[in-house]
Amino acid sequence: MYWSGLSAAANAAAAYQTGQTGYPVGHTPTGTYTTQRAAGSTYDTGYQTAAAAAATHSTAAGTYPSAAASATYDYGYGRTTQTAAAAAAAAYDSSKTYYAQPSTATAYTGADTHYHNKTAYTNAGAYTTTSRQTTPVVTPKTSYTSTYPGAAAAAATATYNTSPYAVQTTTANKGWFGTTTALPVYMQQTSQPATAVAAVKTPGNTWQTFKKQGTVPNKTQKPKAPPKPQQLHYCDVCKISCAGPQTYREHLEGQKHKKKEAAAKAGPTPSRHGASLRCELCDVTCTGADAYAAHIRGAKHQKVVKLHQKLGKPIPSTDPVVVGGTTKTSTTTAGTAVGAKTTTSGTTAAPTGTLAATTTTTTSDGKKDDLKEDLLDLKEKDVEPVGQEYIEEIKNEEGKVISFNCKLCECRFNDPNAKEMHMKGRRHRLQYKKKVNPELVVEVKPSLRQRKLQEEKLRRQQLREEMWRRREEERLLEEEERWYWEERRRYEEECEYLDWCRRYPRGPPGPPPMMPPGMPRPPFMPGMPPMMPMRRPDSSDDRHVLAKHAEIYPKEEELGAIQKIVSNTEKALKMVSDYLAEVDAPKEQHIKPKAKKEKEEVPKDDDDKKDGDKKEDGPPRMLKGVMRVGILAKGLLLRGDASVQLVVLCGDKPTRTLLDRVADNLPKQLAVVAPEDKYDIQRVVEEAALVVQNIGEQRISVNVTLTSPIMREQLLHDGDSQVTAVKDPPDVLDKQKCLDALAALRHAKWFQARANGLQSCVMVIRILRDLCQRVPTWGPLNSWAMELMCEKVIASAGQHLSPGDALRRVFEALASGLLLPGSPGLLDPCEKDPIDAASPLSAQEREDITASAQHALRLIAFRQIHKVLGMDPIPPPKFQRGGRFTRKRRRDNSTGEGNDSEGGDGKKDKKEDEDSKMDMDKDTNSSKHLMVEGH
Amino acid sequence: MRGGMIRPMGPGPHFGPKMKQFVPRLPFDMVLCESAFPRVKAAPDESAFTQALLKRNADLSPTPAEQAAVLNLVTKIQAVMDNLIVDPGNFDACSSISQQIEEVRQVGSYKKGTMMTGHNVADIVVILKTLPTKEAVEALGKKVCDDLRAQEPQEVLVLTMLPNDRGFEISNSEATVRVLVTTIHQNLRKLDPELHLDQKILQSHLAAIRHSRWFEENAHHSTIKVLIRLLRDLRGRFEGFEPLSPWMLDLLAHYAILNNPSRQALPINSAFRRCLQLLAAGLFLPGSAGISDPCEGGNIRVHTAMTLEQQDLVCLTAQTLLRVLSHGGYKQILGLEGNSSIASEMSVWDGVVVSALEKAYEKPPERPPQDDDTDNMDADDDPMETTDN
Repeated sequence: MYWSGLSAAANAAAAYQTGQTGYPVGHTPTGTYTTQRAAGSTYDTGYQTAAAAAATHSTAAGTYPSAAASATYDYGYGRTTQTAAAAAAAAYDSSKTYYAQPSTATAYTGADTHYHNKTAYTNAGAYTTTSRQTTPVVTPKTSYTSTYPGAAAAAATATYNTSPYAVQTTTANKGWFGTTTALPVYMQQTSQPATAVAAVKTPGNTWQTFKKQGTVPNKTQKPKAPPKPQQLHYCDVCKISCAGPQTYREHLEGQKHKKKEAAAKAGPTPSRHGASLRCELCDVTCTGADAYAAHIRGAKHQKVVKLHQKLGKPIPSTDPVVVGGTTKTSTTTAGTAVGAKTTTSGTTAAPTGTLAATTTTTTSDGKKDDLKEDLLDLKEKDVEPVGQEYIEEIKNEEGKVISFNCKLCECRFNDPNAKEMHMKGRRHRLQYKKKVNPELVVEVKPSLRQRKLQEEKLRRQQLREEMWRRREEERLLEEEERWYWEERRRYEEECEYLDWCRRYPRGPPGPPPMMPPGMPRPPFMPGMPPMMPMRRPDSSDDRHVLAKHAEIYPKEEELGAIQKIVSNTEKALKMVSDYLAEVDAPKEQHIKPKAKKEKEEVPKDDDDKKDGDKKEDGPPRMLKGVMRVGILAKGLLLRGDASVQLVVLCGDKPTRTLLDRVADNLPKQLAVVAPEDKYDIQRVVEEAALVVQNIGEQRISVNVTLTSPIMREQLLHDGDSQVTAVKDPPDVLDKQKCLDALAALRHAKWFQARANGLQSCVMVIRILRDLCQRVPTWGPLNSWAMELMCEKVIASAGQHLSPGDALRRVFEALASGLLLPGSPGLLDPCEKDPIDAASPLSAQEREDITASAQHALRLIAFRQIHKVLGMDPIPPPKFQRGGRFTRKRRRDNSTGEGNDSEGGDGKKDKKEDEDSKMDMDKDTNSSKHLMVEGH
Repeated sequence: MRGGMIRPMGPGPHFGPKMKQFVPRLPFDMVLCESAFPRVKAAPDESAFTQALLKRNADLSPTPAEQAAVLNLVTKIQAVMDNLIVDPGNFDACSSISQQIEEVRQVGSYKKGTMMTGHNVADIVVILKTLPTKEAVEALGKKVCDDLRAQEPQEVLVLTMLPNDRGFEISNSEATVRVLVTTIHQNLRKLDPELHLDQKILQSHLAAIRHSRWFEENAHHSTIKVLIRLLRDLRGRFEGFEPLSPWMLDLLAHYAILNNPSRQALPINSAFRRCLQLLAAGLFLPGSAGISDPCEGGNIRVHTAMTLEQQDLVCLTAQTLLRVLSHGGYKQILGLEGNSSIASEMSVWDGVVVSALEKAYEKPPERPPQDDDTDNMDADDDPMETTDN
């Protein structure tokens, strides 16, 4: 009998071969099993005792704490390849993928699914190597029985035996495989809980396949089972029967079945809110009594009922089972004990088997009352229809209402009842909630999908948090790095500056010039050079301003040439001074040091000079000192500037005679100072000056103006009567020119004190100087007024401005009417009286300059600063970012990360995203900042 | 007043410091840096100008009759609405709207006290708890109108639905009340453009409530109200100021009067001139810090609501008017004499020719898309300024 069964099984296995690869190898073991089974032919009836024996065995083994699982495994193991046991065991231990191991696979493939089971078991019970080692010792039989240890498992099979589920019992009979696999299936039916869930799916399948194989033979064992039903291919999960094995197999592999299975695996969703009605027979959940009634009446239900009748299965009453949050209580107790589920599965288990039914009846009975209440609830909870006004009545020509249209849900119905139903319906209410009143309570129905979504969401959130954290870290790192570079930049800047100072030493080398040493001599072009190569311009305006500035800034040769002629002239003038002093005072030796001392005082304050004069005991030196003024002193030279100014301070009011004497002597001294250069000297008496011009390819003229502080003293004391009494030499030089020269001296000093230190100021003044030269409208704006205005406007910003911002601010000031009538004007700080430095401007000139500035301001605001500057637009730097990232990478390397190429690129991409994001946000962010400080 | 000496480092926690910092700067403002510009000569006498401003304000203020009319209508409507909130039972006609009015608030120039004569319209915002479907708005309008009629059957009321569905309007012969409908905040993102009023509009109505609240707390100074009225008049007469919204004008007036070192309100003549100066100096140009909207968490500069072209237009109009003003043309600016051509045509004042300005804004040339991401760092932030809020 068994043998026939075996051959049949083998046949079936062969047939199965087509379905599943690898399986056929296992059919031999199947055979073995069967023989083993023969030995223990009392299996079905005497199972419980066997189980008891197993229990004892497991206790004897000692190492199996909850040994059922491991024992099962061991048995199969020892059965098939005893010799290979040790090796295979090792393989199993080392990797949990034991059944996938090629060496064992040939022998085990048939048992694959069992191992699946076992994985579940091993999860439940501790499976140890030692326990495995013991198994070969155990006789097959005992080990077999040990496959079903634990009262729970026993109970499970027992249930089957007595149950009318013929099909299942046959499989239980079928062989070791069958029974073991039956277990999970059983579990499935009884809606097994958490622990076993993971493993269920695959075994479920195998069981089904096994069953197929077993359908043909091997039935006599079951006296209860009529032979006919076995022909039925009944899928217990889906509650359907199939016409033949082929369709049945197809069904099992079908999407629908898998889905059902998964749903069954998950168990009836416990979180299902409220009460819903459930048809246990069909495993259908209805939302309301009406729907349930409809289902019971329906063809599908009838069909299932028929089928079950045919199978001889119990038909549960048509009383609905109320599934609700309240009734789902007991399913969790199962734990590792598989069979425990019989008692647990509560309402869902009720119809599955008589035995189970008996166990559950108590609970069901207990629940009966609740159930009724629930039903009542369900009816009473009759929801109020909402959104009547959104239901449109569609009438026919006669004005009779023929149908309704719900505008919210965009659906139509003809029946007023349907309309009522619809208005109470969940879908409609949801729409109403969504579209009209979000506060409407609509019960939620979390589907499997929703739950999955929820989980997905959580997971993503975690991921996101993780990402933010990482980013934050990165940011900190970068911040650090930025500081580093900032430091570095500053350092470089300083170096550059020092370097520059070395290239342009303060004052000409060699013998001390006439220049008074006390005077802080500025570098040749102060302020400028440290800025130029250093600043990393950021905004487009800045880049344009810098580019323009570089364009108008004089070339090195030009600067060199000017430097040369100026220092030569200065030296020569000093020698002239010496010469004049020698001629005027024979006791030169005594006077000279004094004169020198006095010279120190000269520059300190023009107004103090009278004190120096008073202290002078001997006849004063005629020429006291020479100073640079104007663009030369301020460092405002532009490319192409060929005229610079020096002022010679005289001890007394400069006269024509003095001018002549200097002009006569200067060529000689120049020849001494620079014998190889040729200079042309002209007197410009009306300007109170003489002009030194070099003769060469670059014509540079140095205007040397003679003046004396005494000229201004006189002016300042004009109110006093005695001053007028001071006798003027008859040929004194033009008074205004001398005063202008003195003013120029003060301006230069002011400039060095105020404008030079102000960031971006000198640069902006140079740009504006260029503008005044270039644009006729701006021509009338004198440079002193312009300088003054720039300084005031930029200084009043109260913060460091980049060149672009500084220039824009100057235009803003002009645009807001700084020069217009009614404005406060530009108070000249270098004059005693309040004087508007821009007073020479006429009203029309002011108006025109203002209008021009207003237009310029808008051009700047709208990215056309190049038009204001008179240059070509500079395309945005393509490699700016690249440059920055090279820097970044350099640093990465230094920290030893060594991820320059790939890591760097990845980062770059991210940065770029952030860049653009930042662009979007920076306005808001920074204005927030401003708000904080603003009020 | 300005940002500190140090630029802020990382504005947000998630932006790398790599970003070029964009610190919007306030433009030059003479009032704020007065100390740097001591007066060379005494300020010119401006009493005539001040008188003209006050006169103009008097002309613009609504008459007592107008005020009474609008007050009357507003009171009645408010009463009806309050009734609906308190006792929704009698609101059966549209059952779903019953008990769904969250709040009713007066907003706008009526509330702020900056109404102008000849424009007798008061604004009321109704916040619904439900989502504002067009049907609901309609039903509410009908209901309110019916209730009003029930109270005073003899009165002729006109109920109109506002274009672009802002709500409805109820007017009688002398006054109009605009009822602007919106919904509570948490509903805003549930809106469906096909069913409900436009989200932007609803948001603007909510903003209107914040605005009037802010105004009550911060800008109750009467000089501010006078200045607002004058600026609104200016906006009405000079086309170039059209893009300035009432809210921008409110903020500008408040800024011009109160934002000064002494924190004392500036006199009206200085404040009026300062408004033009600020606009001329580019307060509302790209790259300027402008005025942060106090009702949006201080994150949004109000002028970014204008397009770049509009910003240019506003600025150039102010620039021209400022020059006219400084040459003595205040009567033309206030509309006491002449017309608005001074803003767009050349004019002569005391022998000084004041010419109008040209637009500076140019539409950016189309760029091939692949350049965009490399360029937008510097080149595109201006367009973004307008699009991001």
